[in-house]
Amino acid sequence: MTTREPPLEIGRPPRLDAAAKASGAEKFACDHYPPGVLWAGVKRAGLPHARLRGLDLAAARALPGVVAVLTATDVPGVNRQGVVLKDQPVLVADKARYVGDALALVLASDQETLARALRLIRADLEPLPGVFDPEEALKPGAPLVHEERPQGNLLLEGRVVTGQGAAALEDCPVVVEASYDLPRQEHAYLETENGWAQRGEDGRVTIVVSTQTPFRDRAEVAEVLGLEPGQVRIVAPYAGGAFGGKDGITVQSLLGLAALHAGGRPVKMWLEREESLLASSKRHPARLHYRLGADQEGRLQALAMRAVYDTGPYDHLGGAVLTLGLEHAAGPYRIAHVDLHGLAVYTNNPLSGAFRGFGVPQVAAAMEQAMDLLAGRLGLDPLELRRRNALRRGDINPVGVTLTGSTGLAACLEEVAAHRLWRGGQAWRKEAPPGRRRGLGLAAVMHGLGYGPIIPDVANAKIELTAEGVFRVYCGVVDMGQGNAGTCLQLAGMVLGQDLAGLELVLPDTDRTLPSGSASASRTTYVFANALLPAATALKERLLARGADAMFAASPAEMVLLPGRLKHLPSGRELDLKRLASLLDPAERTASHRYRAPVVPERPSPDPALQLHGLPHGVFSYAVHLARVEVDELTGLVRVCDYLVAADCGQVLNPQIWEQQMQGGVAQGLGYALLEDFPAPEGLPQCRDLSTYLIPTSLDLPEIKCLAVPTWEQSGPLGLKGCGEIGIDGPLPAVGNALAQALGRHLVEAPFTPERVLAALNQTEPSAS
Amino acid sequence: MRPVHLPSSLAELWDLMAAHPGAALLAGGSDLLVRLRQGLGDPPALIGLERIVELGRVQAQEPGWLFLGAMATHSLLLEHPLVREHLPILRQALAVLGSPLIRNQGTLGGNLCTASPAGDTLAPLYALEAQVEVRSASASRRLGMGDFILGPGRTALKPGEVLYGVWVPQQPAWSIAHFEKVGRRQALAIAVVSLAALIARDESGLVTRARLAWGSVGPTVLRVPAAEEALLGRPLDDASLQAAAQLARQALSPIDDGRASAAYRRQVAGNLLLRLARRGS
Repeated sequence: MTTREPPLEIGRPPRLDAAAKASGAEKFACDHYPPGVLWAGVKRAGLPHARLRGLDLAAARALPGVVAVLTATDVPGVNRQGVVLKDQPVLVADKARYVGDALALVLASDQETLARALRLIRADLEPLPGVFDPEEALKPGAPLVHEERPQGNLLLEGRVVTGQGAAALEDCPVVVEASYDLPRQEHAYLETENGWAQRGEDGRVTIVVSTQTPFRDRAEVAEVLGLEPGQVRIVAPYAGGAFGGKDGITVQSLLGLAALHAGGRPVKMWLEREESLLASSKRHPARLHYRLGADQEGRLQALAMRAVYDTGPYDHLGGAVLTLGLEHAAGPYRIAHVDLHGLAVYTNNPLSGAFRGFGVPQVAAAMEQAMDLLAGRLGLDPLELRRRNALRRGDINPVGVTLTGSTGLAACLEEVAAHRLWRGGQAWRKEAPPGRRRGLGLAAVMHGLGYGPIIPDVANAKIELTAEGVFRVYCGVVDMGQGNAGTCLQLAGMVLGQDLAGLELVLPDTDRTLPSGSASASRTTYVFANALLPAATALKERLLARGADAMFAASPAEMVLLPGRLKHLPSGRELDLKRLASLLDPAERTASHRYRAPVVPERPSPDPALQLHGLPHGVFSYAVHLARVEVDELTGLVRVCDYLVAADCGQVLNPQIWEQQMQGGVAQGLGYALLEDFPAPEGLPQCRDLSTYLIPTSLDLPEIKCLAVPTWEQSGPLGLKGCGEIGIDGPLPAVGNALAQALGRHLVEAPFTPERVLAALNQTEPSAS
Repeated sequence: MRPVHLPSSLAELWDLMAAHPGAALLAGGSDLLVRLRQGLGDPPALIGLERIVELGRVQAQEPGWLFLGAMATHSLLLEHPLVREHLPILRQALAVLGSPLIRNQGTLGGNLCTASPAGDTLAPLYALEAQVEVRSASASRRLGMGDFILGPGRTALKPGEVLYGVWVPQQPAWSIAHFEKVGRRQALAIAVVSLAALIARDESGLVTRARLAWGSVGPTVLRVPAAEEALLGRPLDDASLQAAAQLARQALSPIDDGRASAAYRRQVAGNLLLRLARRGS
């Protein structure tokens, strides 16, 4: 027998997907160029709101190398897509509702011909008055994005009232009030939207695509194509970043439609960066108004808030984003009286949708900056204010849910309070060089895990001992860079006693893996591992029992699984797993397990729409963020000098992956705080590429220190909770609070650009230096 | 498909330029390829200059002058001992130009011929009073920076001419050689405003010579003689610098764009001078 590594362990690095990615061996969806591949692309509207009177396709169709030019009338099934409301056409039939709407689909022999054909299409578009401000959109007489909706431009309105609601503010001795504007943010994943598709001789359509949602895609594409779901196969390789931007259909339906017209040839579609920026979904811009009241001791009493989320032209999970925002609007605190009022509104602006954080970064920005305003009014240390109000296990959270799961916020606060970056903070401020100002800012945040009470939050794991004696782990949920696929191998290896050579990974494929929901909502490893561990354990027990029988052992308890083999401990005899596999019926070599996450039995809101959109959650991760910033008085440039995040995400299965998730979230959150904006006056995006849409470079980021403050979450696999989003919820308010300390005034408009910072400096007294 | 020619000598270059009128010269491509991708211009051919060895030279050639070949990459210049010794202000600008990848690819000549007022090497070269040498198949001429760069994207190059290199005169002893760029981020940033300042002072600390050049606050890099003169005979203190800054703000003509407003640029352009008080003390 060849030398084997020891079995994989939980709680240790490395991440198992890293080597193949770093060496370039891993094939992402965009790395596939099947022989004879055709190229597909779409003509986009370019206008934010326009009646489509006609399309002149003759010149494009006449161009040599063009295989097909398709329009809405070529969609064989339902020309509508969407997760909750199906309100987005695959190809526009009557009118365009934003600049990125697709009008016509072209198939061509190569990219150059495709580009030329797209330029030859003449769209007869009649510009319509558009609506670009969500408050304006709610007024009577505003242009309607979807004329058929009785609610006009309102996608979803939600309200959660507890206790005396806003009236309780009148009894508060201290009330602070502020409005905040949050920008539109682009996901800017490395791998832009892409995939390739082919129709087989049996009529089935296979789509290999960069997606977070293979099983939902299958259903949506089938409906668009007029096929049974089983006639569509979605294969989801590792995605080169997604962050929510691939939570739903991007190119899938177009590729499926193209495949129907490609004569059996493969078809590839891959958005250029410019097209991705124009057409892809973004984080919802939001306007928030907060009134927060406390007693003299700094105990929070009441919060009234109103949030308006600009959802753009379609329901790209906008209702769910708003609902999660409402649920987190009052932060991780005990507040007995709240009135949380939110509206998601259609406009002709760029498409808003799912983005890591999912509505929470907006409300956390407002709540946590309001907390510092309150601390200032009370003359209380901001950390002490949070300490006095921090949710503990057993408390009722602001939307009325009893916290039965692990609740480590207080411990996170104590970790930060004891850390040198906090304790030495005031000394550090005083050491600011001449012409610079320094400040520290905190943010305490929570993030709910999973889909909420109505949508089944389910995973189905499957493991097979192959005829070769290797365990094949069927991972039904996408790895878009978080590292969950490698974690699945680690978990399987731990249970089954295998090293990496004893394991094989099958990435999501609707023909091979089992439905396991989306890679989203901080749920991926929590839900999937809760299915995988029982599946692995069941298979282990079966193999130990059958091995014991084969080796005439007294009991399976005498057997142990080791890399590539089964060992009878009393005798030291071993049985090769390949040999064991050959003794088993194929059906015996596979185990699967279905898991559905528990739902909260309380119903804090009677509104069925809010419940459908995810309210409430029961399992939360917590974090406290600390930013130390330095401002240059001459330029307004802000440098984040130090960053600390202490987070309770339950138990940590792989500290390297955990830290990377934290750091990635913080980095993206610092971009949101300081740099990123996607302005689109009159619905027209101003940033056409990554030279004008700026994300942070490595030089713009400090060392991001991450402290795990692990609780044990009893519902989680091995005590784990989610860690995908808690990192992005805190940076903007932490930086905002640090800037407020440095500048002596709060900034209410993000991102905090040098120009806005310098304007604030112009309005404050010159520093003593 | 667009042909790309790679001559290995100037003689070959002249032949190719004659044979392919309208061809674009490729001197690294970090600007040109972006413009072509955006559909700005459609030259029938590209002529890459990277194999012409004499265009990449950096040397002290004529007495009193340093020669920087047009095809010297930013990385090469950044690490070159002559630049390190004699042109610290150019080094400061090169150090914040683009990213390591852009610096490996982009060239000094390319930066000049792009003629963006935000070109990072330009303000130092204006302050150093550098000259450029322009050559054609039959002639050579030398121009000052201000005569070479005519406006955004516009240079004095005529058809058949190429930028051969930059001549930097031997510098008097400067007490302060300072470059600062304000961008929206710390790397891969286009300047919102930049300042190159060369200051000489006597033993008592009074300014004897001053050259101040601003980038990104006008159609080209701008020297502001009034601000320079305002410093002469005075110490580099907040009062003298504030006075010079005010003159500079009046003289500059910034615009609003996606990176910053004109008002911000104007204020910060003056503010950058105030940094000199701290540098010089």
